[in-house]
Amino acid sequence: MPARLKENTAPEAGATELLPPVQEGIFSLPAAGETGGPRLMGGYCRACERYHFPRERHCHRCLGPVEAADLGDSGVIYSFTAVRAKPPLGLPQPYAVGFVDLAANGLRVFALLDPDCVDHFKIGAPVILAVKPLGHDGKGRPCLRPYFTLQQHPAESEA
Amino acid sequence: MTDVYVIGAGIIPFARHEASSLTDLSVEAAYQAIKDSGIVPHRIDSGYFASVLGGRLFGDSTLGQSVFAEVGISGGPIVNIENACASGSSAVCLAYNALSAGQSDYAIVVGAEKMCVPGLGLLNSGESDIETKLGLVTPASFALRAQRHMYEFGTTLEQMAQVSVKNRRHAAANPIAFFRQPVTLEEVLNAPMITDPLTRPQCCPMADGAAALVLASGSAISNNKRAIKINAAVLTSGSYQNPIDLVRWETDQRSCRLAYEKAGMGPDDLDLVECHDAFTIAEIIHYEALGLCEVGEGGRLVAEGATSLGGRIPVNVSGGLIGRGHPVAATGVAQIVEVVAQLRGEAKERQVDGAKVGLAHCMGADRQGDARSCTVAILSS
Ligand SMILES: [Zn+2]
Repeated sequence: MPARLKENTAPEAGATELLPPVQEGIFSLPAAGETGGPRLMGGYCRACERYHFPRERHCHRCLGPVEAADLGDSGVIYSFTAVRAKPPLGLPQPYAVGFVDLAANGLRVFALLDPDCVDHFKIGAPVILAVKPLGHDGKGRPCLRPYFTLQQHPAESEA
Repeated sequence: MTDVYVIGAGIIPFARHEASSLTDLSVEAAYQAIKDSGIVPHRIDSGYFASVLGGRLFGDSTLGQSVFAEVGISGGPIVNIENACASGSSAVCLAYNALSAGQSDYAIVVGAEKMCVPGLGLLNSGESDIETKLGLVTPASFALRAQRHMYEFGTTLEQMAQVSVKNRRHAAANPIAFFRQPVTLEEVLNAPMITDPLTRPQCCPMADGAAALVLASGSAISNNKRAIKINAAVLTSGSYQNPIDLVRWETDQRSCRLAYEKAGMGPDDLDLVECHDAFTIAEIIHYEALGLCEVGEGGRLVAEGATSLGGRIPVNVSGGLIGRGHPVAATGVAQIVEVVAQLRGEAKERQVDGAKVGLAHCMGADRQGDARSCTVAILSS
């Protein structure tokens, strides 16, 4: 299913673009005509030289100003699990979550993992960020959620 | 600093109490604790009431004032507390601090929850939290620790399942426990998966329940032979380090160390432990934080029987959260009710022989791979 991976990382025009993110400012999408995929967005404090996710209002260490920071789009899985009980927020059953160690800065972030790869995750596996309509926002409105998918998709490795 | 004692304890069965309100459950536990203390209610000059879901599910607020008025306690400071799963034990810490500072002679603490209502679903750490929005539910936060513990230390599915087998066996001897039937290793392993690798019997059941304590300052107890001393009662919060280590749990370890330091004791002094086994892997990680074994050895500790009743250091002889059930805010108080019963030698079939020192450990909610609240109390006869 490599085609699906592409579709995920570069959302089609139309419905997807009209949907709000589950939370403002946690990812960026490529502008129309741009190449590349979504990026995880967080914060950075220049004084402390410290990245964080999600972006802090004030730096938690020095209370200084923080700026938006691109946290990259890749990392490796630190831990993962498949949630097989009745899912919250309209998420698929089953779905997967984990902690990902970001390649760009070593931050360990909690993340949704690709619900299409629930049985294929491993600790240490390289993952890349994707964004698509996934579940709802708690009030039943569909929204975009960032999630990490395997860099080597199981369908590709089997082929 | 004045010494602080528990002089009264009360608890109602942890079960589905469909016909009773949260107030009904709370008043019954408070009544029992006051009767057990042998003092008249108007001498109790402060009150602490913990409930997590009362406001959300029933629109309750300042319920503590209503509950305490029903058992003859009013006029003094009364505080309503929410600190997730550690709400009840946080209330105990606040009462302990006030008594130890000489601000109060007698305090009552009640932890109560009514949560067996349709459609509650899996608990989370708040709907506005980013991790909740990204799909974190409480069982998943512990499944992530379990996966990592298996990966780093070779902990097995069987070892984790042994925690359920042990705590359900213990619960069978506890008349107030939610589960009175033991389970076999096969039943635990073959049960439906909630979140990999935790099957249903490895997750604590929701229950309705309430537990209460009456605390007294040392100057007020005279020669009460059933008084149990609180040697330490600490409350901490997470440090939210990044990168967080899910198996060497800094907040857990720091909280246990702090309690030992304040009590002037260590793990070798303990005769029993009640710990926050919301999920099997949690109990294993808490063994390690408490220093009952080395980090990474928790799975082997339970499998060799060291933490069973009759073992080297019995853990959760009450059945723990897995066997007794987990009415969220009642749990932290219930753990201390159990330790008190054990140290008084009144725990009947589940009595730990010659128990002199016991520890109660509780944790609440998730944030960035850490706990938001943690309490550790050490008591002695
Ligand atoms: Zn800073």
